[in-house]
Amino acid sequence: MPEKIFTRRDFLKMAAIAPLAGAVKPGFAGVFEKGPADKVRVVLVRDKEALDSAGRHNPGAIQKMLDDAVMALFGEKTPAEAWRRIIKPSDTVGVKTNVWSYLPTGRAVEEALKKRIMEVGVSEERISITDRGVLGDRVFQNATVLINARPARTHHWAGMGGCIKNMIMFVPAPWAYHADACADLATIWNLPSIKGKTRLNILLLLTPLFHGIGPHHYSAQYVWPYKGILVGQDPVAVDATGVRILQAKRLQFFGEERPLQPPAQHIVLADTRHHLGVSSPDRIELVKIGWQENILI
Amino acid sequence: MGRKAKEANSLSRFFPVEINGWRVEGRDESYDPQSIFDYIDGAGEVYRAYNFERLVARRYRKDGEPDLIADFFDMGTASDAFGVFTHDLEGETVEIGQGAVYKGGLLSFWKDRYFVSLYAEAETATSKQALLGLGKEIDSAIPARGKKPVLLSYVPDSFDLKTIRYFHSHLILNYHFFVSVENILHLGPDTEAALASSGDKPDIVRLLIIRYPDAPSAVLALRSFAKAYMPDAGEPELVQTEDKNWTAVKNKGDYLAIIFNARSPDQARKILASVGEKIVD
Repeated sequence: MPEKIFTRRDFLKMAAIAPLAGAVKPGFAGVFEKGPADKVRVVLVRDKEALDSAGRHNPGAIQKMLDDAVMALFGEKTPAEAWRRIIKPSDTVGVKTNVWSYLPTGRAVEEALKKRIMEVGVSEERISITDRGVLGDRVFQNATVLINARPARTHHWAGMGGCIKNMIMFVPAPWAYHADACADLATIWNLPSIKGKTRLNILLLLTPLFHGIGPHHYSAQYVWPYKGILVGQDPVAVDATGVRILQAKRLQFFGEERPLQPPAQHIVLADTRHHLGVSSPDRIELVKIGWQENILI
Repeated sequence: MGRKAKEANSLSRFFPVEINGWRVEGRDESYDPQSIFDYIDGAGEVYRAYNFERLVARRYRKDGEPDLIADFFDMGTASDAFGVFTHDLEGETVEIGQGAVYKGGLLSFWKDRYFVSLYAEAETATSKQALLGLGKEIDSAIPARGKKPVLLSYVPDSFDLKTIRYFHSHLILNYHFFVSVENILHLGPDTEAALASSGDKPDIVRLLIIRYPDAPSAVLALRSFAKAYMPDAGEPELVQTEDKNWTAVKNKGDYLAIIFNARSPDQARKILASVGEKIVD
């Protein structure tokens, strides 16, 4: 029998049963299960000094933010102890960044990560930091550990460009994943080059883009100095938290609910369909450290 | 001069060298459907879905003001220039070209076979004036006007004619109105489609009209849609969906017309009959 084709009517069915989904559908029940032991930790760190007066990344503040975040994530007292939880000296480490010209990961973040990875004992020749070159990069080809770091932004096809989507450069034809608002992006994480290797996901919210317009999907009018960074091991939990912040900013800015267009459904589907991580706030322990003003979440 | 350089040069002729004190910065850059992702990232897929042929980008600079970026797309046909314009209709309507919108430092318009996007890196009163001035200069440099797709004339007047989306691709349909993960309507470069809306949220009725290359292709698409979307149809080509609204489909020659979210079977039938009367097959 041919596989059933998913249509709009399947969404309508889900909408109809949603109020009872947790009670009647075992597949949904787990998503809403509560209990501290089940929770995934995500750290939100903010620093008022993260940007200079011109809006550029402040390297000193960024280093401190990342250090504080990984210590809080792993419950360690020093950055070195925290990094040793995920990397050993013999590892080969690929740092997957994002070079989008309007909102790149940026040198301050890259240098801060590289510094701590080298302090663990990984030699410089076994560290590579790149975005679009991952498929042809010898370090990435042999990587035993991946660190995933990129800015959060609304995205034309995916709703939000976050940690899940950042691995799209590991496939030769990224646009092949654009169907149905990038519903199955999480399948990329099953590639041998990625699966089980990504130890840390860093979603930069230093100057997030909360609304996109035009061919470049960018306007300076729609970024704001949030001065935050989300850090976690679960890319779905990190992205799901990032979406909540973007949505909160959209509500604040537009004065009304303006859902992302298209909806960032790939994040929920990464949980419910592909089981990459958890997306429900009920299953995420959000640890907030640093500057709290206008935190939106 | 190579072919690409000549093509880029030929599009550059539509740009002024100066506008309100902003002057050209650097050399124009040219992109084709293969290289567009170097410039536009994932959204480049939109322009590929409308068969764009070439993009020339120019930057303007003025001391103490934000840069202006002009992206000039040769879409090959007026229909596709119009179509790509309809992909993003958010904003204030302005009288430039054959259709234009302005929002947040971005002016986009279409004329003849060209789609033009003019963007200020920051919106100020002066950058907005410069963008509008630049748009008018480019508009006046394009001598011809293009025809909108005939397909639009089959949309009944009860639908909002200003918000019709015109496209070829299943990806674009799903962006505006999700129908199915699979391409059950057999959309592609040799089909053209118009999606129209009527009413307000949450009661928006959608009308999709598709023209196929020939009648057998339309029949195949009808069967595919009926099988995937309405296998439980109580009567041929009409079904009540899970939200208690009605979906109906009708084939006439090379065309399919589908109504989504009709309030009643009668409403669905009336709209499809109206489309059927307009179609000249």
